[in-house]
Amino acid sequence: MACSERFRQLISSVEQADSATGLFQATRDLAYALASLKGEPAPGTPPDAALCCLVRVLGFNNPGAAVAAVEGLIASGSAAVSPLLQGLDEQNYGARAWAVRALAGIGDVRGLELLEQALADDIGPSVRRAAAIGLGTLQLADLAPQERAAVEQRVLVALERGREDAEWVVRYAVATAMEKLATRFEQLEDGRGRVTSSLVNLADASLEEVPVVRLRARLALSRLSPHDSLYPP
Amino acid sequence: MRERHESDPPLTAAGEPITEVEAHRRLRSDDPSLQYYAAWWLGKMRSRHPDTVPLLLEALRLRQPREDGAGVESNAVARNAARALGKVGDDRVVSELLAALADEDDGLREAAARALGELRAEAAVQPLCDRLASGLEGAGACRPNSPKLQEPCEALIEALGDIGVAEAAVMTTIEPFIAHERPLIRSAAARALLQLTGEPAWGSLLLSLLEHPQLQVRRAALMDLGAVGWRVALEPICRTHAENSLKLIALRGLVERGSGEPSTETLLEAMDGLL
Repeated sequence: MACSERFRQLISSVEQADSATGLFQATRDLAYALASLKGEPAPGTPPDAALCCLVRVLGFNNPGAAVAAVEGLIASGSAAVSPLLQGLDEQNYGARAWAVRALAGIGDVRGLELLEQALADDIGPSVRRAAAIGLGTLQLADLAPQERAAVEQRVLVALERGREDAEWVVRYAVATAMEKLATRFEQLEDGRGRVTSSLVNLADASLEEVPVVRLRARLALSRLSPHDSLYPP
Repeated sequence: MRERHESDPPLTAAGEPITEVEAHRRLRSDDPSLQYYAAWWLGKMRSRHPDTVPLLLEALRLRQPREDGAGVESNAVARNAARALGKVGDDRVVSELLAALADEDDGLREAAARALGELRAEAAVQPLCDRLASGLEGAGACRPNSPKLQEPCEALIEALGDIGVAEAAVMTTIEPFIAHERPLIRSAAARALLQLTGEPAWGSLLLSLLEHPQLQVRRAALMDLGAVGWRVALEPICRTHAENSLKLIALRGLVERGSGEPSTETLLEAMDGLL
């Protein structure tokens, strides 16, 4: 969509910001303008130039601005996916980590491969944790049956591997993601059973040493099988 | 909790996968950089092999007086050995850690204090109090030309809180540090007093530090609230401006160490929202 004058000004403020605080404020304003598009009487499409601008901010090594940019990208939903994937700078670790967070929040299935990679081998636990949640909350409803079957399988395999992560917070995120995923399998017949067995492992004190991870897995089990007396809510 | 950066292995070795056998071999070598990583690794992995504690104790004894250009490496190994012993040790290592608590190297004293706190070593209460007894003018005074205090007060105070002997003499020793000029020391003192007394006033002090303008102070308050497990802090923890990673660690502490309201389920839901 063509860029309105308002967005041109907001983008130019981001590009001309000459201090960390200035960049943060300009990014926040642009992100807010994008987020409020949805609430307008005739919801507009977020302009590509504005989304590309937020994607560039992810690479500026300014955490405050990056958080604001991620929020703006998530609020823009699917429209932000291709600017994110195309603007991805493989060499810039920080930018990549923020992009994973944005894609995780958007939930568009085009982000699947990046989320799989991030959960499997990103060096940052906070990135792996975001990737796990992103996988658990991917939007599956609009997919054709065959594609949906493939996605369900890949997400489940990725989360099953994530269960072995060395960091407790990633295993915690895997338990949460498994709960979010469990009720949404349509194509994968043994999906729910495999989720349950993963959660049972995460809830088992002889296999999982961190109490809060076990408690989260138990909570998931109690919600998924409310009548199972093994896991009272 | 603030020792973390220091106790991480050098970047070149970070994450290098080794086996327990390899860690023991490295600790037996005479290459300080191999020993340094091996000691850290055994603590991180919470090794339970019967050789681990004796080897770490040997590494702890390797320390030398700290002189310019000499002995620094050995002390670095000893510090990591002390930290690891806090994670894998038991009553048998307390006397050696108490000796390290009297070492002239304050970095080693700090590591020993934290390890004794982790081991809940009641035998350490008196020696820790002795180190702090001189109060703000002594132990808590700034050193000339150095960011350090005379004693590693933060570690000493936190250890007293973790050990949990709630005697009047312990409280009297810690209380003056509530008025220390440095917010990190005030945070440590409030944390320990909250652990020892359960008195909400000390918790309120930690909550006020969550609103401190410096990120470093807010981070410390988060870790301290997590260490106590004070569940009242849920909302302020979620609200403060700091990384979600640290909020998650703090909330884990509320779940695992705290009790009562808000419920465990409420806390877990708050954690979900921070992932």
